[in-house]
Amino acid sequence: MMTRPQSLALVLKRLRALGQELDRPSLLTADEQTRLFGDGAALDSMGLVTLISDLEEDIYRECGARVALADEKAMSRLTSPFRRVNLLADYIIEVVNAG
Amino acid sequence: MSAWILERFKTFKDRPALAGPFGEVSYTDLLQLVDVADRELGALNLKGPTAFAIIGEQSPALVAWLVALAAHQHFIVPLAGDAAEHPKKLAQVHVQWIVFLDGLKWKLLPRVDESAAPSFLGYLVEKKHAGLILFSSGTSGTPKAMVQDFTILWETYRARRESHLPIIAMMGGDHIGGINTLLGALSAGALLVVPESRAPRCVAEAIRKHGVIVLPATPTFLNLLLVSGETHLPSLRLITYGTEPMPLILLHRLRETFGHARLIQTFGTSETGILKISSPNPDSTFISIDDENVEWKIINDELWLRSKTQVPGYLNASNEAFTDDGWFRTGDRVERGPGNTLCVLGRTGELINVGGEKVMPTEVESAILNTPGVIDCRVFGEKNSIVGQTVAAEVVAQSAEDPEKLRALIRVTCRSTLSAYKVPTRINFVPSIVSTRLKKLRP
Repeated sequence: MMTRPQSLALVLKRLRALGQELDRPSLLTADEQTRLFGDGAALDSMGLVTLISDLEEDIYRECGARVALADEKAMSRLTSPFRRVNLLADYIIEVVNAG
Repeated sequence: MSAWILERFKTFKDRPALAGPFGEVSYTDLLQLVDVADRELGALNLKGPTAFAIIGEQSPALVAWLVALAAHQHFIVPLAGDAAEHPKKLAQVHVQWIVFLDGLKWKLLPRVDESAAPSFLGYLVEKKHAGLILFSSGTSGTPKAMVQDFTILWETYRARRESHLPIIAMMGGDHIGGINTLLGALSAGALLVVPESRAPRCVAEAIRKHGVIVLPATPTFLNLLLVSGETHLPSLRLITYGTEPMPLILLHRLRETFGHARLIQTFGTSETGILKISSPNPDSTFISIDDENVEWKIINDELWLRSKTQVPGYLNASNEAFTDDGWFRTGDRVERGPGNTLCVLGRTGELINVGGEKVMPTEVESAILNTPGVIDCRVFGEKNSIVGQTVAAEVVAQSAEDPEKLRALIRVTCRSTLSAYKVPTRINFVPSIVSTRLKKLRP
């Protein structure tokens, strides 16, 4: 099981690490409303894929669950869970707690 | 070669030719730019065909130099995007001059450290033809260079009918797809729209601003358009997709979202050029090859092509993909369908297709092994719902201390010499690697 504050903390921590790695200062101050992908977003497509891969590893380390965040279920949603930090944090809870 | 294209530019006159961050230019403006580039080239007093790199995105300056260099049978190395691989590519082809493109302007600089003429291009010199050098991912850590006969390639666009349909440039001049879009638009008198970047928002804005009708894209880009929510694109009438397999589920979602546009598949390789194909059924990904310049056959589930616009081979890599009787083994795994159709299922070998960009695992492995603290590694493709496939790596580390730090260091090291799409998105640390391929590569 994972709580919403845990999943949000996971996403923000990972974004900060990625911000350092990619030298993108805007990621260091990311919050719940930060756009991940799309209009005015902080990540390009490869950045988004890297973030998701890293988060899947983090989830495995924290909960012992192997999950796929970018699967067809996520891709076929009308509003993508990868658009904003809060949507991704919600989606992580949904996937982890369903498993 | 350039005579007919310049005649067309004169006929198209004040029609818009290119629009983008550089503003809007007409075909008459293009003629003037070609003239300036041509005079600058003449002033160099070159003794014979010479290798030029033209570095930058699609722009009027790119067109001016493509036309001017082709007219004088030079060798053209278009480079764009990620600069991490540019030094390796320049060295491969002994480039002697670099043109840095900047919209309507450019800067011409000599490469003083290169004096040797590229002798491997001799067959083009004999034919008095221009050469176009493109790259694909190599097995040895250096990109594979291949030479297209640019005079013959451009000639295949001569039969293009006049078109007023604005098209958007989704690939750079360093990619056969980008060259195809550019030559197709210029030969037909269409408007080529260049987005500020290829991020979904910039592309969508450019489509809306210029009323773009034709969007040539990869399935990955179309997927990203859906993810970003940039789907209000009422001007689009034709979406073409290619360079990677299209998942059926994505095709159906695109048909739902862009019901007003036709979705058509394209197919081509850097080695053979773009093929003329048709899709008998818009709901399926089976294609029919209807190109008088191309023969095809399927051998052991692999597509083999023989085309008039085919490169003779790679300059700096094994040519086992080319047979003595002129066939190119594409490496694409295909399935035969009804009525002489076929469907591309994926790759036969280890090559990874990241959103339409091809990656050889060994090229990435060489880069990872350059990271301090790495003992061994294995790179492979991993299925991904966003970009089709991504690069994944298993790594044996010298010590188990701080894997997070090493993971970041590996990516930073890779990013310094590889294009961003080749950098592993997933890195797992393992105690040992079971692979015979790597051992052979190591000294």
